[in-house]
Amino acid sequence: MTLGTWLALLVAIILAAEAVRALRHRALGSERWRRFFRHPTAGWGVGILAFLVIVALAAPLIAPFDPDRQLDIVGLKNHPPSWTFLLGTDVLSRDVWSRIVYGARVSLGIGGLGALVAVSVGSLVGAVAGYYRRWVDAVLMRTVDVGLALPRIFILLMAVALWDRLPFWVLVLAIGLTSWFGTGRLVRAEVLSLRERDYVLAARALGAGAGGVIFRHVLPNAAAPIIVSAALGVGNVLLLEASLSFLGIGIRPPTPSWGNMIADGAPSVYTAPWTTVAAGLAISLVVMSLNAVADGLRDALDPHEEGGAT
Amino acid sequence: MTGVVWLLRRFVASVAIIFAVVTLVFILIHVAPGDPCVGSEEGGPQDPAMCPLLIRQFGLDQPVHVQYGRYLVQLVHGNLGYSFSLHRPVSDALTETIPFTLQVAGVALLVDFLLGLWLGIYQALRVNRLPDVVLSNVTLFLYSLPTFWLALVLLLLFAEKVKLFPLGGPSDPILCPVIDSAYCVADRIWHLVLPAFTLGLVGAAGTARFQRAAMLEVAQQDFVRTARAKGLSEQRVVLRHQLRNALLSFITRFGLTLPFLLTGAVLIETIFAWPGMGRLAVNAILTRDHALVTATALIASTLVVSGNLLADILIGIADPRVRVPADGAAGGAGGADAALLTT
Amino acid sequence: MLSAMSGRFRLPLSIGLAGLVAAALSACERRGGCTGSYCGTLIDAAVGEPGTLLPPSTEEIVARDIEEQLFLKLADVGMSTNTVGDEDFQPQLAQRWEWDGPLTLVFHIDPRARWQDGQRVTATDVAFTYDAYNDSAVASPYRPQLKRIASVTPRDSLTAVFRFRERYPEMFYDAVYHMRILPAHLLRPVPRDQWKTAPFGRAPVGDGPYRFVRWQAAQSVELIADSTFFLGRPVIRRLIWRFTPDLGVAVSQVIADQADVREQIVTPENKERLRAAQQIALYPYRGNVYTYLSFNLRANGDTAKPNPIFADREVRRALSMAVDRASLVRSTLGELGKVPPGPMSSLLWIWDPEIRQLPFDTAQAASILNARGWRDHDGDGIRDRGGQPLAFHILVPTTSVLRKQYARLLQEEYRAIGVRVDIDEVENSVVGQRVGTGHYDTAILSRANDPSPSSGIAQSWTRAGFGGSNFGRYYNPEFERLVDRAIAATSRDAARRLWRSAMDLINADAPGVFLYSLENMAAIHNRVENVQLRPDSWAALLRTWRIPSSRLIDRDRVER
Repeated sequence: MTLGTWLALLVAIILAAEAVRALRHRALGSERWRRFFRHPTAGWGVGILAFLVIVALAAPLIAPFDPDRQLDIVGLKNHPPSWTFLLGTDVLSRDVWSRIVYGARVSLGIGGLGALVAVSVGSLVGAVAGYYRRWVDAVLMRTVDVGLALPRIFILLMAVALWDRLPFWVLVLAIGLTSWFGTGRLVRAEVLSLRERDYVLAARALGAGAGGVIFRHVLPNAAAPIIVSAALGVGNVLLLEASLSFLGIGIRPPTPSWGNMIADGAPSVYTAPWTTVAAGLAISLVVMSLNAVADGLRDALDPHEEGGAT
Repeated sequence: MTGVVWLLRRFVASVAIIFAVVTLVFILIHVAPGDPCVGSEEGGPQDPAMCPLLIRQFGLDQPVHVQYGRYLVQLVHGNLGYSFSLHRPVSDALTETIPFTLQVAGVALLVDFLLGLWLGIYQALRVNRLPDVVLSNVTLFLYSLPTFWLALVLLLLFAEKVKLFPLGGPSDPILCPVIDSAYCVADRIWHLVLPAFTLGLVGAAGTARFQRAAMLEVAQQDFVRTARAKGLSEQRVVLRHQLRNALLSFITRFGLTLPFLLTGAVLIETIFAWPGMGRLAVNAILTRDHALVTATALIASTLVVSGNLLADILIGIADPRVRVPADGAAGGAGGADAALLTT
Repeated sequence: MLSAMSGRFRLPLSIGLAGLVAAALSACERRGGCTGSYCGTLIDAAVGEPGTLLPPSTEEIVARDIEEQLFLKLADVGMSTNTVGDEDFQPQLAQRWEWDGPLTLVFHIDPRARWQDGQRVTATDVAFTYDAYNDSAVASPYRPQLKRIASVTPRDSLTAVFRFRERYPEMFYDAVYHMRILPAHLLRPVPRDQWKTAPFGRAPVGDGPYRFVRWQAAQSVELIADSTFFLGRPVIRRLIWRFTPDLGVAVSQVIADQADVREQIVTPENKERLRAAQQIALYPYRGNVYTYLSFNLRANGDTAKPNPIFADREVRRALSMAVDRASLVRSTLGELGKVPPGPMSSLLWIWDPEIRQLPFDTAQAASILNARGWRDHDGDGIRDRGGQPLAFHILVPTTSVLRKQYARLLQEEYRAIGVRVDIDEVENSVVGQRVGTGHYDTAILSRANDPSPSSGIAQSWTRAGFGGSNFGRYYNPEFERLVDRAIAATSRDAARRLWRSAMDLINADAPGVFLYSLENMAAIHNRVENVQLRPDSWAALLRTWRIPSSRLIDRDRVER
């Protein structure tokens, strides 16, 4: 670690803290944000996520070494953590801290994009199913049942393992397309209850088309479960990518992802556990933060609490 | 609609789903590149002249729909096919591995249920006081761990550093190749502890969080406040009224969690060398063993669908008011449970 | 804690606790009472699981180790692993033999030899075995090794006659080493093309020092000593092979005293871990495994067309020179590996550091690539020619941590000279299938050597190996001539000179990069005595190992 990278790290921490402070300030004026920050962990969650996102974006500035560079395969193999190598080196003498930093890009990227695909498809399908009901609903929900009937990891294994050279975006798409089923059901339930609301009936009476009603009136009010789903979804995708990499079919070497770092470090876990432990903790930290944020969001956005007594 | 008609409809729908899943998997694995001519590079591969023989012997050169038809016919006769990678009939391989997965999943479920429920109740009784706060964070942490990472860490700690538990495998190969005595049962339990505990711990954390929230929600409701107002002791109020309702929502989750545990134990089985169905299925996919993959898909989807059906029936029995089909708002389906489905 | 719960919980919890206590107590029960010198249980922590235990169809080394105990050869090499002539061979199934003319070898089968079902072992079995190994329907990987044998016929029930096509120094070796004699009366009814999947392979019946007891799928194989074995009762009563998913787990089991033997520990990290374990003794012995990066000289997926990158000899030489083999070995294996001077392990007598090898010289490698037109025309850091980048895939099996590590190291070495490498990690059997059918660019493969170069090298690097072990389809007629003459050479010195020329030639052609040769080290529980490890097959002399009665531990005494 050089002076420059220490400074960059410090800046990242400060920026994250500032972001949380700014949000708390917002909370003073908004009932929702106040409910959000009632959970002490939610604030920490936002802070940690902000920090990791900043780190991921500013990776070239924060990481002291090139994540793929094998520094000295004879002399620096499995070096324990030190001031130069914050989290030690791995079995190929690569700096673990740098790989974690760049791995944040890959893992968070997959997490975000995968969750985006999943939530988008799920919301759309759920909204359509809930709005149109009858046979459209039946067909779509049966599809959801089929999708849920087969464990995700098997579908992904078949998709990814059987075609050896999948590009990154196909992997993301595959993960997203196998993860939307739960969101679909959730959104459908919301839409079913929302479609009888006054404003929806009014809009339809005024001649608004189905698409307009769905997008302008229904979905925004179903936003709460969708947003919470999205927050949790990123965590799920992260864990899924880690599992796939552990089985050897996730992100290809030498690109670091937190999942394949656990897999790479597993054989030396008895003598040099820092790679595996660091990557696992990183994943846990992100998922924990996401869960904490989701908890806060659930409270903040819960329509039952909107100005009503129990 | 009456209960029987509803049940019949659900049953038919379930069969249709299983059928659809199997068809999908069948097509997928037959369309994928690569064929099951297995060989090992240590001794040289199969004689290339041999491979066409093998292919013809199992009818793999026919078009997909012909193979599919043959497969269905075989299925009706109870023949699940032949596994290339294991050199044995598929049914043999499955009957050997399913009991192991059931053991691990069963104990994991027990851990999940007992520990999670107890933690949830304990926290709800001391809501917002120190034990609750500490436990909330602990469960949050556990819930966020990748299960296989936890397995590696626990293996390192308890099997290597502190030699408390065995390193893997289902039993002592010398004394207990088969379970034929009380000692062997105990031995099996001892081997089960780490894998089942790892699998169940993450689930227990989730259950605890869920139960705590459910019980706190119930605590707001009128009948509880009434009971409290009537002067009944806090504990009895909690345990009599809240528990029942909390259990209700747990039953839903049970039906949905069971299939996950059975096939989601894949990574645990790999790390602990547990000869279960999950590991079998993964190897089958990686070695492109058509018959085995399709058979495991069949079993897996049957389990999932049965689990859903079971959950619906149990809910229907337990609380006649709540005749909502499982695809709805029952017990936070989607969010919380989707998170469980990852490992 | 109990008070926080209602009565509903207390009862089941108490029952549960009581149950556990009872189980724990019953665990203290002592079992078994075997005493004396013929007790003992040896557990081997094996990596991977065999597919079948039928010798001609066997592919995995684990299976071969188990078959060593179940099936006999006519004779076996001695500890010197000298394969020339017959002086250093030990009688096994054959009590004695003699030469009946320059091309005829006659074996006299020991009349005491019995199959486990009681039947006598006869010369018919020997003839049947030869026929099966040679049968293309069985498709045995050992078939090419038997090509110089013209026929095997029974003269009478205890005499088998081998006739050869030509004279050469290793006739005896070829006659006895490759085949394990099979029971004709049990295998004749099985159709030849179903041998690979025959039930016999899951429950074999042999004539060796140990008998098969059970095979628990995905868990273990158990063998028990045959007390009536005609060459001497094995001392250790039971052998168990425990299947583990990878080397790390296997080593952990040995450390935790849940296994006794780990025949190859491979890495220095494992050695450190094992040295710390009190009950383990480490035994170094000559290694028989070498690993290389195989270039596919034909197009990926089409063996009729030449490979656009690797068909060019100069490019192959450049790619070999770009790899710092010595550093890679030092980094991954330390002193437990050596850089091989060619496609061989240190077991082979032709190992000679004086053999001419390509030097590690990235500058020269770069200039060769430039000269062949591979330059970085588009400035992306990767060389290209005619629009095609100099990029290829390395295939490695997921089961081998060492080879995966090597793949990543090579990826980095090649990146330094402008070559892009992608790594494909697939299941072991899929690797076999892909290299066998030529669907690969490069692959990191391991070979276990036979004690003589005549069987392995010819198969892997000549035209005879096309469709067999010569995956990259390397062919050099001069190399083949040299190998043929070396095999037929009458004196050791002449053979050595010829082999050396052949090795010089193959190194110059660079059909692959010969990465490392393992220096074996076995980790064995220190209560085991008389440990003899023959380098070509560590388990060959298991029946002579001893566990003295003074050092029996719990699992040795079990009487199952």
